[in-house]
Amino acid sequence: MFQVIRRAASLPKTHLLKSAPAFSTCPVRFDNDVYNRKEAPKIDNETVLSLPEEARHNAALESTITVPAKVDLTPISGVPPEHIKSRRVRIYQPAKNAMQSGTNNINHWEMEFDNRQRWENPLMGWTSSGDPLSNMKVQFRNPEEAIEHCEKNGWCWYIDTPKIEKPMKPKSYGVNFSWNRRTRVSTK
Amino acid sequence: MLRQPLCRALALSSPARAVPLASRSYSNPVPAEPEKVEVFINDKPVYVAPGTTVLQAAAQVGVEIPRFCYHERLAVAGNCRMCLVEVERSPKPVAACAMPVMKGMRVKTDSDLTRKAREGVMEFLLVNHPLDCPICDQGGECDLQDQSMAFGSDRSRFTDVHFSGKRAVEDKDIGPLIKTIMTRCIHCTRCIRFASEVAGVDDFGTTGRGTDMQVGTYVEKMLLSELSGNVIDLCPVGALTSKPYSFAARPWETRRIDSVDVLDPLGSNIVVTTRTNEVLRILPRTNEEINEEWLSDKSRFACDGLKRQRLVTPMMTDSRGNLMPVDWEDAIVAAARALRDCPPNKLLAVAGDMADAESLVALKDLVNRLGSENTCTEQYFPLDGAGIDLRSSYLCNTKIANVEDADFVLLIGTNVRFEAPLLNARIRKAYVHKDTDVALIGPKVDLTYDYMHVGDSASVVKISPRGPEGSALLAYTQELACKLQDKLQDKEWKVLNVLQRTASQVAALDLGYQPGVGKALQDGPKVVYLLGADSGVVSRDQLPKDAFVIYQGHHGDAGAAMADVVLPGAAYTEKRATFVNAEGRAQQTLVAVAPPGMAREDWKIIRALSEVIGERLPYDNLDEVRDRLSEISPALVAYGDVQENNYFAQARALAQSLQKPVSGKLDVQLKHLEDFFMTDTISRASPTMAKCIQAVLKQKDSPY
Amino acid sequence: MAAKQAIQVGTKIVKPVLSTNHAEARLRVLSLYKAWYRQIPYIVKEFDIPKSENQCREKLKELFMTNKDVTDIRVIDLLVIKGQMELQESVNMWKQKGHIMAYFKPTEEPKPKGFLSKFFNSNE
Repeated sequence: MFQVIRRAASLPKTHLLKSAPAFSTCPVRFDNDVYNRKEAPKIDNETVLSLPEEARHNAALESTITVPAKVDLTPISGVPPEHIKSRRVRIYQPAKNAMQSGTNNINHWEMEFDNRQRWENPLMGWTSSGDPLSNMKVQFRNPEEAIEHCEKNGWCWYIDTPKIEKPMKPKSYGVNFSWNRRTRVSTK
Repeated sequence: MLRQPLCRALALSSPARAVPLASRSYSNPVPAEPEKVEVFINDKPVYVAPGTTVLQAAAQVGVEIPRFCYHERLAVAGNCRMCLVEVERSPKPVAACAMPVMKGMRVKTDSDLTRKAREGVMEFLLVNHPLDCPICDQGGECDLQDQSMAFGSDRSRFTDVHFSGKRAVEDKDIGPLIKTIMTRCIHCTRCIRFASEVAGVDDFGTTGRGTDMQVGTYVEKMLLSELSGNVIDLCPVGALTSKPYSFAARPWETRRIDSVDVLDPLGSNIVVTTRTNEVLRILPRTNEEINEEWLSDKSRFACDGLKRQRLVTPMMTDSRGNLMPVDWEDAIVAAARALRDCPPNKLLAVAGDMADAESLVALKDLVNRLGSENTCTEQYFPLDGAGIDLRSSYLCNTKIANVEDADFVLLIGTNVRFEAPLLNARIRKAYVHKDTDVALIGPKVDLTYDYMHVGDSASVVKISPRGPEGSALLAYTQELACKLQDKLQDKEWKVLNVLQRTASQVAALDLGYQPGVGKALQDGPKVVYLLGADSGVVSRDQLPKDAFVIYQGHHGDAGAAMADVVLPGAAYTEKRATFVNAEGRAQQTLVAVAPPGMAREDWKIIRALSEVIGERLPYDNLDEVRDRLSEISPALVAYGDVQENNYFAQARALAQSLQKPVSGKLDVQLKHLEDFFMTDTISRASPTMAKCIQAVLKQKDSPY
Repeated sequence: MAAKQAIQVGTKIVKPVLSTNHAEARLRVLSLYKAWYRQIPYIVKEFDIPKSENQCREKLKELFMTNKDVTDIRVIDLLVIKGQMELQESVNMWKQKGHIMAYFKPTEEPKPKGFLSKFFNSNE
C-alpha cells in the first residue's frame, strides 16, 4: 500500500519531475555574485542531499507563471455551492453607534451575508443558526479590497454607501449669548 | 422656501395630500469666502475657516478630542472640561470645544499637560459617579466608561473611606420611554440642549449649584415630545436610558443590522438590534440627507409591536365564519380559486401603509394578468389634472435636507410635527439658525416653533382668496408654487413639495396604483385583495355580502378581521424590501430576523399564488423582481439616491382647468401628541405606544 | 446598489504553487486520478462499504469532472493537493467508513426545486 502512496506523491512521470515528491520546498537560494560573499555560503543539509530533480523543481517554484487576472476560488474554498449562488454580500461601512461618541471603530469597510433564521436553543438558551456564513464579517481597508475578495469567492455583492458627509460649519460659544437671535432660549 | 403640506378636503371623505411649498430669495449676496487660518494640530498644519473651534480643526485632521458635553448638532456648552488641550504659549489648558482657532495656534492633543488635565477631569467626574456599571444599561456603550479607560488614571486617589457618601440624586419620572437614574448624571446638559434646541420643548433645565446641581423638569412632568427618545442616545452616561429596553441585553451580545424605518414617510435610517431572532431595540443611523442622527419616538419604540398580534399561520374562515389556521397549500388554493373565478372588473386590490415595492409590483402584475386594472392605495391623492402622471406633483421635490436653506416655508393643511417629525425638526432648525419664517394654512397646531397662522380655510390657498376640494386645492397650490418659482432667482430651487403620509405611497404611485379606493369600492367588488390595508378605508359593510376578502399582511388588525383568507407576510424588519420615501428616494430594508412562524416574504406569497392561478409571474428571486421594478422605473432601484423631477410647468398647465372655486376647511388627522403614537398596525400593537398615550393624557390633566 | 463589476480581463504574473504550466498541472491531475483509480478496490474491501467498485469509479469520475472547467493553474494544483490528502487519509485508514460514504451523500434529502415546492416545503 505504501507503494501506492509513493507513486501518488511522486505524481507525473515526466522527465522533468521524475521521482520528485510533489511538495518539498527548499528555502535556500544560491547566490552567484562572488564579490558580495563574505564567507562560504551556508547550505543546509537538505539542499546538499536533495536530488538534482528536486533541486530543479525547487528552482521552478522560484519562477513565475501567468494566470488569468480573475481568480475563482469557488472550487477550493469549501463553501457549499448553494451558499455561493443564492446569497448576497453587503459591503458597507459600519454605522456609528448612536449611543457612543467615539468613531475609531468605524473607519473601515465590512462585508456581511444576508441574515438567515436564528433560534434559541431550548437546552441552554443559546442562539443557534443553520447558517455557516452568518459570522463571516470580514473587515477591509477600502471597498475595492472587499469587492475583490467577493469576486474571488464568487459571491454576489452590492455596496451600501453611507450618506454621512456634511458641510462643516464653525460652531461658536458666543451665540449662546446673542440676545436677539432665535438660538437664545430660556432654559439652561 | 415655502412648503405647504397636506390638506384634507372636507368635501371628500378620503384624506388628501400634503402640499409643501418652498421658496427662497437671494436678497443677500453670498459673502466672499473668508481667508482660511492656518493652525497646527500636533504639528500637523491644517487650514480652517476663521471662527472654527479647536475641536473642529482637530477633527479635520482626524484627531478626535474626548468630549462629554460637546455635540456637533447642539450648541456649545463647554462645561464638562473633558476636551482640555494644551495650546502653546497659553498658561492653562483650553477647552477645545469652545475655543476659536487663532492664526498660527499650535495645539497639542497628546502632550503631558493635556493628558494630566484629562486625568484630572476624569477623577472629578468619577468622584460623584456611582460604580454601578455592572447593573447599568449603558454598560458597554458608555462614553464615560470608554473615556475613563482611554484617558483616566490607572489608580484611584479616592482614599476617603469615611466619606459620608457619594452625591445621590432623586430619580425623575419623565414618561414611559425614558428611565432616569439621576445619580449617574455628569451634568453635560446635552439633554437640556436637545430638548430646547431640536425638540423645541423647554421643559428640561438645571436647578441648584455645585454639588446640589440637578438636571430635571423642576416639577414632575412628562417630556412631551415626539423626539424625546434621542436624549437616550445623547446621554454620555447611563442617566437617561431606554425604559422598554432596560435590562434587556448588553451591546456585545446583540447583532446590528442596518435598515430603514417605514413608520413615517421619511424612511429614516435605522439600526435594528437583534438577539435570538427577536428585535430588541431600534437606534438611528446617521444619514445626513434624511434623519441626520435623530429618530422619532414611534420609529424607535414601536418595535415591541413586532412581537404582538402577529399573523404566524395562514388562516381561512370555517363554516361558522371563524378564522381557523390552515396549511399554506389550502390557503393559497382557496385564494387562487377566488381570484381565478372572479370577473376581472369585480376584482380589487388595495395596498396599505407599509407595503414594499416588490410586493406592490407583484400584486399589480398579477391583477393586471387577471384582466383587472383595479389596484389602489388607501391614501387619497387627487387624480385630476396631471394627477399622478408627473412624478414631481406627488413628491417632496426640495428634498428633506434642503429645507434648511429655505427662506420661507408655507405649510398647507399639514401637521408636519406628527406626520414627519424629523422634517419638522429640520424646519425648526431652519427657523432657529437661519431665521426662516413659517406660515401655516390649516388648523392651529403646536409645531414647536412660532409661525404665522394664515387661517384654516382652504380658500386662502388661492392667491386672491377663494377656496378646496382635493384636486382643486392641489391645482391652486401648484399654481401658487409656480408663480413663486417664477420670481426666484435660483431656477433650480423647487417650490412645490407634497408630503405623503405613508411609507408605501410613493412607490405605489410610481408603479401606477390609483390613490384612494372611493370609485373602485362603489362598483361592488366580488374579490378584494388587501395587501396590508388596515387603516379601515375598506370595511365589510361597504362591500357586497358575498364579497371574498383576501388579506395579506403581518398584523392581525382591521384587515385580517374582515378577511376570508389570511396570508401571513413579513414585517419591515423581516424582509429585504424596497421602500421609496416622500422625496422619491428608494431605500432598502434588510433582514434582521426571520419572519415568525409560517409567515413568508410578501412578494413570494403573491408569486406562489400566481403560479397556482395559472398566471405565473416571470420572477423567481429577488433580483428578478428588482429587474422588473427597474423596467417600470429605474428610480425604484437606485438605492439611496433621489432622481430630479421637474415638470411643474406641465402639471400647472394640466391643472388650469381645475381651478374652480373651493370652499371648506382644511383639517389634519394628527393634531396632538396623543394622536401621534398609534397610526399603523405595528404601533397599534405596541404596548409601549399605548403607555405613551396614557402618559400624555395623564399629563394633560396635571396642573403643570 | 452598485452593479456587478465588469469581469476583470487580462492576466497577471504570480508564483506557482506546484506546476509551472498547464501540461504539468494536467499530468498531476491525471496521476492523482490514476492513483485513486487503483486504490478503489482496496477502499471498497477495507472500508467494507456497500458500493461496488464500478459505482466508486463512477463517483470518482464525477468528483473529478465537477472541476473540469478550472483553468487557473494554481487552483488546479491546490485541488490536486487536497485530493492527495484525501487519498492519503483513505489509504492509511485515517478515515472511517462514514467518511468514505459521505462522498455518496446517502442521508441527504433532495432539496425542493421549483418556486412553488420551495415555497410550500421550506421557509424560504
